Amino acid sequence: MLIVAASPAVDPGAALQARLTGFAGFLRANGYGVGGADSIRVLETAVQTGILDQQILRWSLKALLCGRGDEWRRFDALFDAYFLPPNKKIFVESNVVAAGAREATAGVRDGGEIEPAAGAGHGVAGDADAGTARHGASREESLASTDFRELNQAEHARDIEALMRRFARRLKHLHLRREARFHHGRRLDLQGTIRQSVACGGTPLRLAWKERRRVRPRLLLLLDVSRSMSLYSFFYLRLARALCAELADVHCFIFHTRITGVAEALRDPDPWRSQERLHLLAAGWAGGTRIGECLRDFNRDHAARLVHSRTGVIIVSDGYDTGEPELLAQALATLRRRSRRMIWLNPLLNQPGFSPESRGMQAAMPHIDLLAPGADLAGIERVLPRIIEALR
Amino acid sequence: MNEVVDLELQLEGAGYVAEPALAAALLLMLDLGRPLLLEGDAGVGKTEIAKALATVRGARLIRLQCYEGLDVHAAMYEWNYQRQLLAIKLLEHDDRPAVVKEQDIFSERYLLKRPLLEAISCAEPPVLLIDEVDRADEAFEAYLLELLSDFQMSIPELGTMRAVSRPLVVITSNGTRELSDALRRRCLYQYIDYPAFAKELAIVEIKAPRAAGQFARQVVEFVQSVRRMELQKKPGIAETLDWTAALLRMGISVIDDDGAERILETLSALIKTREDRAGFTREVVARIAAAC
Repeated sequence: MLIVAASPAVDPGAALQARLTGFAGFLRANGYGVGGADSIRVLETAVQTGILDQQILRWSLKALLCGRGDEWRRFDALFDAYFLPPNKKIFVESNVVAAGAREATAGVRDGGEIEPAAGAGHGVAGDADAGTARHGASREESLASTDFRELNQAEHARDIEALMRRFARRLKHLHLRREARFHHGRRLDLQGTIRQSVACGGTPLRLAWKERRRVRPRLLLLLDVSRSMSLYSFFYLRLARALCAELADVHCFIFHTRITGVAEALRDPDPWRSQERLHLLAAGWAGGTRIGECLRDFNRDHAARLVHSRTGVIIVSDGYDTGEPELLAQALATLRRRSRRMIWLNPLLNQPGFSPESRGMQAAMPHIDLLAPGADLAGIERVLPRIIEALR
Repeated sequence: MNEVVDLELQLEGAGYVAEPALAAALLLMLDLGRPLLLEGDAGVGKTEIAKALATVRGARLIRLQCYEGLDVHAAMYEWNYQRQLLAIKLLEHDDRPAVVKEQDIFSERYLLKRPLLEAISCAEPPVLLIDEVDRADEAFEAYLLELLSDFQMSIPELGTMRAVSRPLVVITSNGTRELSDALRRRCLYQYIDYPAFAKELAIVEIKAPRAAGQFARQVVEFVQSVRRMELQKKPGIAETLDWTAALLRMGISVIDDDGAERILETLSALIKTREDRAGFTREVVARIAAAC
């Protein structure tokens, strides 16, 4: 049975209505992609399914208001926290900060339908909500230019995730020239049609169509996860995860003293399980970074399958290599020959007084098309046009 | 609540064991006339829901299998070019004005209906299954939006085609690609997980009646243990049923560690990648079987 906190002065019908419409706002404050119009839908659904049966209302609202697997899994606890009487409630951490970051993305994604929440039942009022969104936007700006090493608090994680997702989407929506040409429906292959019409005495009975070509470049990420990179690799793995979610043809490997493919683990829809799998993959590694050996192994085991003339290879590493520089140079040269472009992101590049003088970097320099700093999101965004240009 | 239970029973009659939450979502879908988006791992029975719903409603099932490069012509409509060409030849000696002749050539007689147009042209509401929508590219997904919200589509030569009856749309996605928020917002949502023990047992008992009793329990327990392992491709319900059939075919009617050798021979029905198969040695199988 639902609990309605009605005082004698308040019309119970109106209170119930407010309570129901407030639920959408409560979910939004917890990071759900719920819009203003959904409050109305909640009411409609409640009327349709009958409000007195709590179980049916729960299932119906779950189908109505969830949009993703993670929202689906969190829903029951939030429903209980909002509707159940206090002595039966389960404590749920309501994450208003995260909602700010989510809303900033939500506004972009769907024509800005999101409106401030109507007074929600648990003190998440509309104004407070809008304030968080503004707060979130300004936070994003400052986050973008903060060095990844300093962003290690849990509350930053969601903001970073949202930022990276937007970043990946921008990468996705950049149209390539050839792709734009092929965008307008099917194209008739005139030569082919005429050739086929010969058999029918010149009547073009069978039409030949030009095949749409796969033109989007493949991205190959090779991430250094050695100890010297440990503060950055976490963020690059997040970036890789966002890229994997948004783009179809992304392949990711991590290296340290060995090289391992992590695309499968990154695509795991459950972020925690994904993290655990990555942890398992990287567990038990020791010693320094052997970039040369790792790249040689990659060339031997995976390159033939993954790297072709449209592949953009992005290596993220600080270049501190304990292996032989000659081996690194050789492996890079082989990889460079197979791929379209080779881009090296070095998080240390922007630090004052740093120049790429380590033996590893020196050996790598002749084979790289673009060396760019990659210590913060703003830095990556600045270099993005050049990466895209290189991949075209 | 009665309605939910009724629908559950009806679905079970059609060979689908549904959880009450799913039945409630299906009822809401019928009430609100909105599409239902089903997400979950491959092999958890997403496609089967549409089939069962069609059986329960006595409706026609129209299926659109999505793939990369799927375009309007394959999904919605296409002009029957050869017949049009033939008609032009035949109309050469027709004295009617050219405009009339042209209208004749671009009439519905020469239109080949593909699944989506077919679905909105049916007199009785069909069940439209848009399967694995994440395989199609984004341009197609955007094209779907008009159909899903207004149930109409435009054909330049004919004008706007409105739905004769509103189809019940079921969309499935395996999560190979992130779907757009615009699509998600237009749909009701249901996440289908691997079935719990009781549900899977019920499915096995319905679909493979020969494997009743203790044997069915052992089969399901074995599969559930396999699913808890770190595998590249976890077995879905279809694999459970295949494996049950394989076991019966091999004359195995009890799962114990002594029979591990023979169980190993049937595992090709359950385990689908080389890497996963390499992890199943005789010892591993015996250990799992002993626990069943």
